[in-house]
Order: sequence, then C-alpha cells, then structure tokens
Amino acid sequence: MMIILLINILILLFVPFLMIGVIKKTKAFWAGRKGVSVWQPVWDFLRLIKKDSVISETTSWVFKFAPIAGFASVVFAAMFVPLAFGKSVINIPFAFVIFSYILGFGKFFSLISALDTGSSFEGMGASREACFSTIVEPAFFIGMASIAALSQNYTFDSFKLILQNAGGYGYLIIALAVITLFIMLLIEGCRVPVDDPTTHLELTMIHEVMILDNSGVDLGLITWGAAIKMFIFEALIANMIIPASLGLWETLALFLIIVFALAIVIGTVESSMARFRMTHVFEFIFVMSITALIILALVTYRIYGG
Amino acid sequence: MKIYFLSLGLLLLGALVSIVVKDSRKFKVCSIFSFLSTALMLLPAAAVMLTGVTLKQGFYMSPVLGEVNFVIDTLSAFFLIVISVMSFLGSIYANGYMKPYLEKGMNVSSHCFFFMMLIASMLMVVTVQNALFFLIVWEIMSLSSFFLVIFEGHKKEVISSGIKYLIYMHLSVIFIITAFVLLNIQSNSLDFSDFTSVLQGNTKFANLIFFLAFTGFGIKAGFVPFHNWLPDAHPAAPTHVSGIMSGVMIKTGIYGILRMVLLLGTPSKPVAFTFLIIAVISALYGVLYAITQHDIKRLLAYHSIENIGIIGIGIAIGMLGLAYGNPVVASLGFAGGILHILNHSIFKELLFFAAGSTYLKTHTRNIEALGGLIKHMPYTALMFIVGSVAICGLPPFNGFISEFLIYAGMIQGIPASELNLFLTLVFAIAALAMVGTMAILCFTKASGIMFLGNPRSKNAEDVKEDVTRVMIVPMGILAFLTFFIGLFPQYIIGFVLMPVSQYVKTAASYQIFGSIAELMGNISWCFFWFLIFILALFAVRAVMRRTSEIHSTWGCGYNKPNNHMQYTASSYANLFISTLKPLFKRVSHIKKPKELFPKEAYYELEIEDIEEAYIVKPLIRWDEKLLAKFERIQNGNIQQYILFGLIFLILAIIGMVYFGG
Repeated sequence: MMIILLINILILLFVPFLMIGVIKKTKAFWAGRKGVSVWQPVWDFLRLIKKDSVISETTSWVFKFAPIAGFASVVFAAMFVPLAFGKSVINIPFAFVIFSYILGFGKFFSLISALDTGSSFEGMGASREACFSTIVEPAFFIGMASIAALSQNYTFDSFKLILQNAGGYGYLIIALAVITLFIMLLIEGCRVPVDDPTTHLELTMIHEVMILDNSGVDLGLITWGAAIKMFIFEALIANMIIPASLGLWETLALFLIIVFALAIVIGTVESSMARFRMTHVFEFIFVMSITALIILALVTYRIYGG
Repeated sequence: MKIYFLSLGLLLLGALVSIVVKDSRKFKVCSIFSFLSTALMLLPAAAVMLTGVTLKQGFYMSPVLGEVNFVIDTLSAFFLIVISVMSFLGSIYANGYMKPYLEKGMNVSSHCFFFMMLIASMLMVVTVQNALFFLIVWEIMSLSSFFLVIFEGHKKEVISSGIKYLIYMHLSVIFIITAFVLLNIQSNSLDFSDFTSVLQGNTKFANLIFFLAFTGFGIKAGFVPFHNWLPDAHPAAPTHVSGIMSGVMIKTGIYGILRMVLLLGTPSKPVAFTFLIIAVISALYGVLYAITQHDIKRLLAYHSIENIGIIGIGIAIGMLGLAYGNPVVASLGFAGGILHILNHSIFKELLFFAAGSTYLKTHTRNIEALGGLIKHMPYTALMFIVGSVAICGLPPFNGFISEFLIYAGMIQGIPASELNLFLTLVFAIAALAMVGTMAILCFTKASGIMFLGNPRSKNAEDVKEDVTRVMIVPMGILAFLTFFIGLFPQYIIGFVLMPVSQYVKTAASYQIFGSIAELMGNISWCFFWFLIFILALFAVRAVMRRTSEIHSTWGCGYNKPNNHMQYTASSYANLFISTLKPLFKRVSHIKKPKELFPKEAYYELEIEDIEEAYIVKPLIRWDEKLLAKFERIQNGNIQQYILFGLIFLILAIIGMVYFGG
C-alpha cells in the first residue's frame, strides 16, 4: 500500500506540470504554431525558484504567508480526493466538506494577500474571486450532497461505486456530475472563458491580477499550486468516469489518459472561444448551479419517484 | 451548590465594592472579583460535567414565588462555564479599554455596578428553574445590559439605540411571560420540572408554547426577523460590553430555546421544520448584510445574527433528528449547535476586542478610513486575522469543527424517508456552504481593508503603537482557545456531548458519541499533519535563502500611486452587492462634479436593512398615526381629566355588576 500512496503523491505533485504543458501545446497546435515543449512548465518553475524576489514595501507577513498557505491547502485538500488508483490518501466520511473548507483556507489568505499590497488592481481580482466562489460552492455542495444521498457511505471514494450500480440513472448523473465539475474546474483553475491566464490586461483578470506583485519562489509556488488545483478537479472527473471494476494498473493508465484528454479539451476550449465579459461570467457559473440542481432532481426521482 | 452561591455572592459584593473605591481602581476590583467568582464557578460546573450528576438546591422564597429551585444540570453547567470565563476575559479587557474614558473624567461607578450585575444575572438565568424568578433575573439582565449600552449617553445615537434595545427586550419579555402564564394555568405550578407533564402528550399546546417561547427567546438571540436591535446596540455599547453581549448574553436566548426543547421532549415535525427555515434565513440574512456594512461593529453585529442562525441550524437538525427518531442525526445536530455556542462566544469576543482596540487607537469605526494598521499594531492585527479565519469556519480553527458537525448531521439525515425532509436538508447544506463563502468575502474585506495595505486617512496614519498588554492578553487567550479547539476537538467534544446526552437518550447513544469522538480524533490528526506540512514549507523556504528586494507596489507602470488609489471596502463588496441588487435597499447620496474645473464631488452609498425599511418603519408610522388620534384626549384640562376618571369609574361599576357575578 505504501507504494501506491507514494505513486499517488508523486503523480499529484508532478503530473500537473505536464498537464499545463499539454494545454499549451494544444493551444499552439490550434494557432498553427510549433509551440514550446510540454516540459516547459517544469523549466519555468525551476527558473522561478532559483530567482530572488522583489516585494512591495506595503506588504506584511501576510504576503509571505499566503503562497505557502495556498500551496499547502491545495496539496492537503488533494489528500481527500481519490487520485490515480481511485483511492484517496485520507479516506474519512464527509470528505467533501473538509476538502472545500481546506481550499477555503488557502483562498482566504490569497485574497487578503492581494489586499496587502495596497494596489489599485489586486483588490479587484480578489473581489471577483470571492464573489464567484459564493455561487460555485453551494452548487458543488448540492451536487455532492445529492450523490451522497444515494449511499449510506459518505466518502469521496464510494461515490462512483454507488453511481455505477445505479444503472441508467447513474450514468446520467455521472454525465451531469462531469459537466458540473468541468465548469468548476474552469472557474477554480481560472481558465477561459472565465479568466484568461495569459492576458496581461489587469482590468479583465481574476486570478492573475491577484498575484501581480508576487515573484520568485512565491510565484513558483502559486503557479504550481494552481496547476495542482486543476489537476484535483480533473481527478474528480476521472474518478466519476473510470469503471470501478478495473484493476489497479488499468485504473492508473485510464486515469492518466483522461487527465491528458481533459487537458486537450481545455486547450481546445481556450483556442475556440474568447473569455466572457464579466457580467456574462455569472451566467456561466449559474449553468453549474443548474446542472447541480438537475442532479438533485434526478436523485430525488430515483429515491422517491416511481 | 454552596460554591455556586458563594460565587454569585462574590459578584454582587464586587458590584458594591466597585461603587465605593476610587475611580482608577474600579475596573481592577471588577476583574479581581470576576476572577474569584469564575474560579469558584468552574468547580461545580466541572463537577457536573465530569460526573453527570445534577446539583439542586431549593429555597422557599415567599408565598408568591413558592419554592425556587436552582438546578445545575449539564446544560446549565455548559452555559455557566461559557458565561463566567468569557465575562472574566471581558472584565480584564475593560481595564485597558476604559482608560481613556477615565482620563476624560467620565463617571464609571454605575457602569461597573451594572457590569457585575449583568454577569450575576446571566449566571442565574441559566440555573433558575422557577418561572417567576426566571423572569425577574431575566429582567435584571436586560436592564443592566441596557445601562451598559447607554454608557456614552450624551451622544444622541447611543440613547436612541439604547431605547430601541429596551423596547425589543420588552417585546421579548411579553412573549415569555405569556408562555409562562399559560404553562402556569395548565400545570398550576411555577417550577420548570412540572411543565413537562403538561407539555408532553398535548401537541397543540406544546406547539403554541414553543412558538411563544421561541419568539420571546428569539428576540433576545437575534433571529431574523427579530434581529433589528443587534446592529444598533452593539456599536453603541463600549467594546467589552458588546463583546460580552454578542458573545454571551444573546446565547441566553439560545439557552431558553434549548431548555424549552428539553421540556418539550420529542418536538413535532412542523415545529422543527419552521425552526430550521428561520435559522437558515437568519444565517443568510446576517452574512448578506454584514457584507454591506462598513462600520466594523455593525458588521460584527450582523455576523452575530449569522452565527445565531448557524447555531439554530444545528439545534433544528437535532430537533428533526428527535422528531424522526434518528439518534445519529440528533446527536450530530445538537453537538454542532452547542459547540458552536462556545466557538462563537470565543471568536466573536476576540473580533470585538480587536475591533475595539483599533477604535481606541484610531477613533473611528469606519473601515474605509483605516488601513495598514498591521505595521504598528501587529498583535491586534494577528488576533483579528485569527478571529476572521475562525469565524469563516476554516480549518484548523474552532469554527470549522462545529460547522463540520452540523454538516455531518445534515448529510447523515439526507437518505430520509420523506421527500420534504430530503429537499430541505439539501438546500440547507447549500445555504450553509454559501454562508461560509460569503463570510470569507466579508472577513477578507474587513481584515484586508482595516489592517493591510496603506493607511487611508490621517486617523490611521497617526497610530504609532499597539494597545497595552492588559488588552492583548485576553485576546491572546481567546486566540489560543480558537486554535486549541480547532486542533484538538476530541478533548472538547466530551464536554459538549454531556448536555447532548440529555436530549438523546437511546441505548445506542454511547456508541454514537464514541464514533463522533473518533471522527474528531481523525480530523485532529489531519489538521496536525496540515500544520506540519505548512511548517515544513516554511523551513524549506528558509533554507533556500532567497533575498528579496523592497520596491513599491506594481502600478502597471504608474510610479506615483497614493493611498487613495487603493481598493476600498465598498468597491471590494460592490460586485457581490450589485449581483444581488433586489435584496438591498440602496440609498445613494451623490454630488456630481460640475463645470470645467470641478471643485467638490462625492458619492456615498448607504444600505438599509430591508426588514427595517419595509416592515419595522411602516409599522412605527402606522402606530404613530393611530396614537395621534388620542392626542385630543390629553389636552391639559384638569376638569376633563376628572371627567375621564368619573366615566371610567362608572363603567367599571357597571362592568362589575354585569360580569362580576
């Protein structure tokens, strides 16, 4: 079991780089460019942690603590999520509550660290990030609670077992859960159409504008953490899809295939559309609430109907 | 039990002594007596908690009151611990906070006296089991807190919010009196223990009593729509008083509700549902309006409403568990609700104290005028940030533990047999998740704008030093408690499960409590590793030895940013507020810039409480119109007054003759 645990953690820490690389490669492909190597995010990260940093004179300890809190919260939240082998490192009941509250801890500090710089832009990003999560979280909880309702077991790991035993409805619910989680991935990972990680126009950004003043090791940790956060949601999606009956290594292979396939999908989405205007972002997020409510309706029908 | 009375006696003695001694020593006297009383009070409370034995002492007071029983069961013991410890910390903090007022030469005798009276009356409220005596101490509590609120009575707005508070408290008392009178008629007794027999078995009567008691105690606790006094009374009161009022006193309302539930036995389903819905609405409403507030104490007052709502959700889940005969859900719900009482009193007092410290140094409660205080007030800032993380329910602090228990109760209850319960619970879960994220929005705003960035006004610039140690130490103790309960919940949960065991009395309860404690132990391990991981990251960063260059904040190539260009609290909250426009009444005062070289322009946005604007104010207007019609009667003419008296007497005699028989 130790080996599996170790592989899980190694995959968690290093595959996200490749995932980002694949997204970049996909975008380059659609743009007709040759693009950078898929290993480029790794080199970027190594370059960043070698650098010294420039910090603002306005900042306090909060600014130095936030990148560490953010990274630690993302990695630790991942411990509750079923990773490569369909098994989570820490398997306890009601894990999705702990999962999202631990992510909230990192978010809290990244928000106040944006305000710590006293900048005229960074608060804007913080305001948007905080506002979006007030709509995202309830939808996530509705979806997860509905799925948990089908079982007497409330761990993340057990979710897919129940659904796959539920027959036709189960597959419909899985499909909707995948859509919900994919939208959440785009929002939390700050990808197009919600946010654009490559733009450098501060007024339109969300996540990128919050970290304008971070540099060096801090920036490295933040980008690594953001990649891992996307990876966590991809892992959640993958675990909805992978059949429970597969063996250990087949699960791993299928898991990696799904992760990279999702990366290609994200790259394609980013190449095929522009980011929404800020007012339309809300509408996009409400799509997630609606899919979550449809999951609830299906679960209700499954339990009480007919 | 003798120790309990000794402790009460010490508080009353302290109240008297504080009148006699010199002004500069008054608060020291209060602290000393409060400390002695707390130390004594913990003995019987701890004894009850550890053994589970109920202590009881009866006195024959008078023919009217009859036998007055003082009872300390586990529920009372829990509240005794919370009240005495939190009040003691408040009395220490007062030493530092009231210093400038003393230097101004304000008279604090009555303040000290009523402060001690408030503590003593709260301690009695949670132990007395005689309905009439309960009302007496309840009234002493309301009145002494009223006198504490109007400490700065020379200010007009303080007096008006004090009177508002007094009116609300008396509305509350009317409902409680009605409930007790009805109970007294039915049971022919004033003792709580005799009420059980009339309540159990008669569902309609029990529902009526619960409705009355819930309204009465709910006004005290601040459930929506009876919350309106909170956001006015807290900013008006001195900070240690608002800390105690918000942290402890409003919990006596929750105590009343918990006591009623205990007397009711198994609650009926509609009652539990109604309570859950009101609690959810309170939680959402409180945090929604907290986001719009820029007066830090009003903001914290609205957060009290939110947290009372969360406590209410826990208790309602417990009641639903009892009503549906599911002991697991009931235990988790009550445990979450009762633990949140303790947690909220800790972090809310912490936040009020930290906010009071900034008020003392900057003389403003408007967070838009603050900023950058973390540089000169590092301890206060740290305390406020710890309190903020705790109140948002984020791990590894205490708020998470109680919210987690409530979530667990709701999720456990989901695979229910009834459709309406299922849907209610799912939406309650979503609401609680939304409350959590909105709290994050609100407290990143408060802590970020108040303490981080650059000073936004001269008031904030002039701060050069942190508050004195006598104010920091109580905050430090509270911050430590938030952290300790968050990290080691398994040691605290036992104390919370003792009162819960009064509600859940099945054979399986030991097993259930055991599994809850085990779950807490697992969570404790998780958070322990989380902290280790954070520390390890710090260590790695320190080993890497990267230097950092200090430079001004990146302004997109603009080199001369000033402090007014920073993001403000209004703009931080604006995106959220404008998304939910219909829920607020926005009153804006604009003076637009005119001419080629505009001289003066401003924009001010005020957000009014819709409940106050659309329900309370029209009611008051209607009331004024009605009463204006009686103005004619009061015309100052003595002859007419005598005539009124005569007419009344004649009517009274006629009435006696006809109906007296």
